[in-house]
Amino acid sequence: MATVTFDGATRYYAGSPVPAVDGLDLAVADGEFLVLVGPSGCGKSTTLRMLAGLEGVDDGAIRIGERDVTDLPPKDRDIAMVFQNYALYPHMTVADNIGFHLKIAKMPKAERAARVREAAALLDLEPYLDRKPAKLSGGQRQRVAMGRAIVRRPQVFCMDEPLSNLDAKLRVQTRAQIASLQRRLGVTTIYVTHDQVEAMTMGDRVAVLKDGVLQQCDTPIGLFGRPANLFVAGFIGSPAMNLIPTRASGESADVGGTPIPLSPAARAALTSENIVVGIRPEGWRTLPAGDGVTATIEAVEELGSDQYLYCSADTPHLTPDGTAPQPIAVRAPGMSPWRRGDKLGLAPQPGAVHLFDAETGARLPD
Amino acid sequence: MSTVDSRVSVAPRKPPRKPKPAPGSRGLSPLRVLGMAFVWLFTAVNLLVLYWLVSAAFKTPIEIFTKPFALPAHWFERGDPFRNFAYAWDNAGFGRAFLVTVVLVAVSSVVIVLVSAPAAYALTRLGARGADGMTNFVAIGMGVPFQTVVIPLFIGMAEVNLTNDLFGMFLVYVALSLPFTVFLLTGFFKSLPDELEEAAALDGASPLRTFRTIMLPLARGGLVTALILNAIGLWNETLLAIVFLNENANFTLARALFAFNSAASYQSEYGGLIAGVAIVVLPMLVLYLLLARRIITGLTLGAGK
Ligand SMILES: Nc1ncnc2c1ncn2[C@@H]1O[C@H](COP(=O)(O)OP(=O)(O)OP(=O)(O)O)[C@@H](O)[C@H]1O
Ligand SMILES: [Mg+2]
Repeated sequence: MATVTFDGATRYYAGSPVPAVDGLDLAVADGEFLVLVGPSGCGKSTTLRMLAGLEGVDDGAIRIGERDVTDLPPKDRDIAMVFQNYALYPHMTVADNIGFHLKIAKMPKAERAARVREAAALLDLEPYLDRKPAKLSGGQRQRVAMGRAIVRRPQVFCMDEPLSNLDAKLRVQTRAQIASLQRRLGVTTIYVTHDQVEAMTMGDRVAVLKDGVLQQCDTPIGLFGRPANLFVAGFIGSPAMNLIPTRASGESADVGGTPIPLSPAARAALTSENIVVGIRPEGWRTLPAGDGVTATIEAVEELGSDQYLYCSADTPHLTPDGTAPQPIAVRAPGMSPWRRGDKLGLAPQPGAVHLFDAETGARLPD
Repeated sequence: MSTVDSRVSVAPRKPPRKPKPAPGSRGLSPLRVLGMAFVWLFTAVNLLVLYWLVSAAFKTPIEIFTKPFALPAHWFERGDPFRNFAYAWDNAGFGRAFLVTVVLVAVSSVVIVLVSAPAAYALTRLGARGADGMTNFVAIGMGVPFQTVVIPLFIGMAEVNLTNDLFGMFLVYVALSLPFTVFLLTGFFKSLPDELEEAAALDGASPLRTFRTIMLPLARGGLVTALILNAIGLWNETLLAIVFLNENANFTLARALFAFNSAASYQSEYGGLIAGVAIVVLPMLVLYLLLARRIITGLTLGAGK
């Protein structure tokens, strides 16, 4: 078991002037489950592959525990990896796949078989030990890939979107299994996904990347409750937070004709009068028309458990660049009687307002 | 949940005898008609040549020239249908040549693949500097007709006393077959996924071990294809054998057939001569028929991605 530290780790790919991962500073605690999340192409896989030793590190360093592994080959790092497409050896049985590392490490046959069986039992793979991967279902293959990782009892697990090839239901199941397995084994884990539900439900902490730059690393609640910048605010949460660009004038900002008060600290931190007010769909209270921001419902999404209303304010606030404001998403209880064209009043719930500097994108102090 | 009872017996449905093709793919477009006509013509001509070869091998010279497409009769009536084959076998020295050819072709083909596979692996998989350039350089070797290098090659081999020598022949065969085989196998290794090697590296396997235990078994199809193609090519190889081998004891089948050609035509033993051709050609034809499917999938496998 060990900590993992990225110290300004940077990776350039040949032929690209911008780094795929740019000066990443990240410290993962011993036994922690850290999720790397971000849009496609943001450098998640590259980060993981640098840690595993499959990519070089152009600048900075990576440490596992106290050991600097920046220049060590993969086999000397004691890392197990689960690949997105599993990368099972197609010509070997499940047992041989799981036991391949132990065989290379010259573990005696009997001990090896015992370890393989133990790992297989943990993953319900015992009936399949003699099969080749081609004759397994997607979920079983995924478990074999997991088995290959856990049988090694490595210092660190790396997982690159291990669930993305499974169907939705199996994904939910396996998600919980992996998380509980990791807690039980206590192995430091770095888990890559672009699915924010996975990120929020599995990770002790979640690191959000964009264009190779770390945006924020925090607990799921911290990330959801206090996004550090506009990107994180828009990325975490579904449907996304309403980000309403507007102007700060005096002690408040105008949203649909309703003033949102600004604290002195927030006003002091603003670099211009352009401000973004962020309110999640569940951060609104619906009132009778006439109270708060008066708005008209343009579309209703009924999910059964919840209802999402997409509304436009009747007195639209001015956006700094003069574009038409985006519709405001509002969550209402499922099966509410709202109809398209209805008018209602909207008011932010106390504590649900996030303020960002429109120029820098940074969160403003409360 | 649906409550329909699926056990309710339904009259067994009969599938169509021939599934319907996609719309538009069945029409007789001019190109299709022309293509079909060409394919059938090509096949017919080849079958005719094969028929002529096989039937002539059982005929007398007179039958060959007067009734080229009739079925053989004379030797059958005489109760000695395989007379031509016996004649060829006895007079051409095919007995020893057969043995020489089988051993030479087998050893050469195996060695070619044994040398080419690691080379192709290193060129495609180890990320060596300049590997692409080297692969192209090897491929250029395929573009050089070996006929153009026969004379310098002969002189060089004569210098080291390896002409009229089966070991020398083996060296020449291996060397001249490497470009094609390496090129074929690079395509094959390229098509294997990177992740397997990365997984093996993380599992602690050295490059050599990864090659031996992971990549080689996966490339088996390609290796077998390379083996078969080389075996067929070398079995039929004549020119180099004529140039390099001039002693009966060293003759390969093709070389022996060439010597037999002059003798048999001098005696107008055309039936025997054609039987000799059949003895040389038919084993490879049979091998090819047995393995055609495998060879074709092997050849196109690397082309997929
Ligand atoms: N082998 C490579 N050569 C050149 N550029 C690469 C290579 N691999 C990745 N990149 C580039 O580096 C950037 C980061 O890629 P990376 O694979 O880390 O993204 P990712 O976050 O894993 O995305 P995804 O969610 O789609 O898997 C991308 O812009 C990509 O185009
Ligand atoms: Mg990726």
